[in-house]
Amino acid sequence: MGDPIVIDRLTKDFDGFRAVDDLSLTVRQGSFLGFLGPNGAGKTTTIKIMTNLLAASGGSAVLNGIDVVQHPKEALAQVGAVVETPEFYPYLTPNETLAYLGEIRGMTREDISRRTKEVLETVKMTEWADKRIGKFSKGMKQRVAIAQAMLHEPSVIILDEPTSGLDPRGMYEVREILNELSKHDYTIFMSSHLLNEVQEVCSDVALINRGRLLRSGSVEELLEQASVKRIEVRTKQQMSGELLNSISKLEGVQELRASGENQFMFSLTGKDEEQAQMLLRLQSLGLNVVSYKESGLALESLYMSLIKDSR
Amino acid sequence: MMAEVSVNSTPREARALPSDLKQVGVVAKYDVMKYLRSRRLLGMLIIEAIVLIAITVLLATSSNPKTADGVVGQYAGFATILIVIGATLFGGDAIVSEYQGRTGYLLFPNPIKKVSIIIGKFISAVAAMVLILVIYYAIALVAGLVMGNGFSTLGLASLGLAILYGISALAVAFLISSFMKGTAGSLILTFALFFFVLDIISSIMGQLGGIKPWFLLNFAGSSLSYVTTDPFPVDSVETLDIGGGQSFTFYSFYPDIGLSIAVMVAYAVVALVLAYLIFRRREMSA
Repeated sequence: MGDPIVIDRLTKDFDGFRAVDDLSLTVRQGSFLGFLGPNGAGKTTTIKIMTNLLAASGGSAVLNGIDVVQHPKEALAQVGAVVETPEFYPYLTPNETLAYLGEIRGMTREDISRRTKEVLETVKMTEWADKRIGKFSKGMKQRVAIAQAMLHEPSVIILDEPTSGLDPRGMYEVREILNELSKHDYTIFMSSHLLNEVQEVCSDVALINRGRLLRSGSVEELLEQASVKRIEVRTKQQMSGELLNSISKLEGVQELRASGENQFMFSLTGKDEEQAQMLLRLQSLGLNVVSYKESGLALESLYMSLIKDSR
Repeated sequence: MMAEVSVNSTPREARALPSDLKQVGVVAKYDVMKYLRSRRLLGMLIIEAIVLIAITVLLATSSNPKTADGVVGQYAGFATILIVIGATLFGGDAIVSEYQGRTGYLLFPNPIKKVSIIIGKFISAVAAMVLILVIYYAIALVAGLVMGNGFSTLGLASLGLAILYGISALAVAFLISSFMKGTAGSLILTFALFFFVLDIISSIMGQLGGIKPWFLLNFAGSSLSYVTTDPFPVDSVETLDIGGGQSFTFYSFYPDIGLSIAVMVAYAVVALVLAYLIFRRREMSA
């Protein structure tokens, strides 16, 4: 069987504005791909085309071997999706909503009943199964949305910023569900701009900006390529202008800035060897280094540098 | 403890997608549930009850001699109002609500064609409209039996025309709903169109311009009332001398039943096809 998601030269124009620009991307079977990009990068537009919510201006999006642009019904047969934050029919309960969508997908009554129990348990909504959704919180609705995406045991799950707009507890709960999903036999395509989320749960990453693919590959590969690091240093002595001036002249130091009375940060291009050498150089300036660490995530560094380059 | 996500207890490949027709039935079933639970149907039944009580009381207290067709005709005269309200409540936001209410994000990514969605919704709206009209005419026919001492066969013809007018009004409501951006605007436009806009146009054309507005839906729909009149009224022109060598001409036009049926069928088909074409092209872009 071929790759479950193949996007080829996908383009989408809105009144002269190109939201997706010749995007090509392949997602391998069983992977959990984080589709990363800043706001307005074209993530949601791409997902909307993949889920038949928008028509493409050009190119194709093939799901399980079927072009969703040409044959949406067939292409979406084995796909579950949560796009933006969907609203539910307020007069239906989760049980009824899942029955509705299950019947549309041709599930038998027994299948619907069994899977409804399983997926609502997975998203911890069992006790709300017979309550009308109208009064649910955003987080509860998002959990039901994820449940409906899993209901029919799809081979592909598409999630559009599933933690967007949720409070910290809601985000934690959804991430827990994502972690659970990642252990199973799904190919998952998840857009996000939360780098920690992606680094935590995804096996693969695709970075886009201005509708164009910047980089894609496994998280490990990309982290290996992430050569720009942000280093945060805390010293025993206070940072004077003179000291900062000396530090800025050290080889490899970029974007230096004081971040406190006895703290500063800078960018460093290089790997572990360069990082170790830099510590020695700082100490050679007479700095009493209390802590010396990478700030933020490696993926974030790569992301920021790629986004910056693409502007 | 999180539940295990079971995989492949029913093989994915073994589950065939239902036919488009079967999906139409699924959409219709759950849309009927919407009417039942959103209290629109209940509200409509309450309005119907008020109209029925008012007409029945007026007829019962009137000392004029009555025939079965005459009694049913009195009820039929108000059926158009029920149809206008029904078209607004059951069809006015049928499509736009999926966009404005964002429920389209839940429904559209499923393997279902938009033609199945719109037909399913239309069937449920028609079912609700037919239910309202059948109850209304059943009581009108019973009133004809009691007060007019006979069964009104013309009343049955009126019911048929009322159902046809209801279907075509719903189709127009779906068309409005397919291109409007907001639910409130769609509901208001649907109601206004049938409640007075079309009436004003047909009055201007007919009574002042001398043009028979046979092609307007409200004019064709008014046949449901005239059909109970025996003999059926005929078009007339009266010229009134208003002095000073000037005169004023009054035109009275009545719908032809056969032509009205054709007009209503044409409106239903054309409006629904246009609604589908717009719906099919409409994107969830906001």
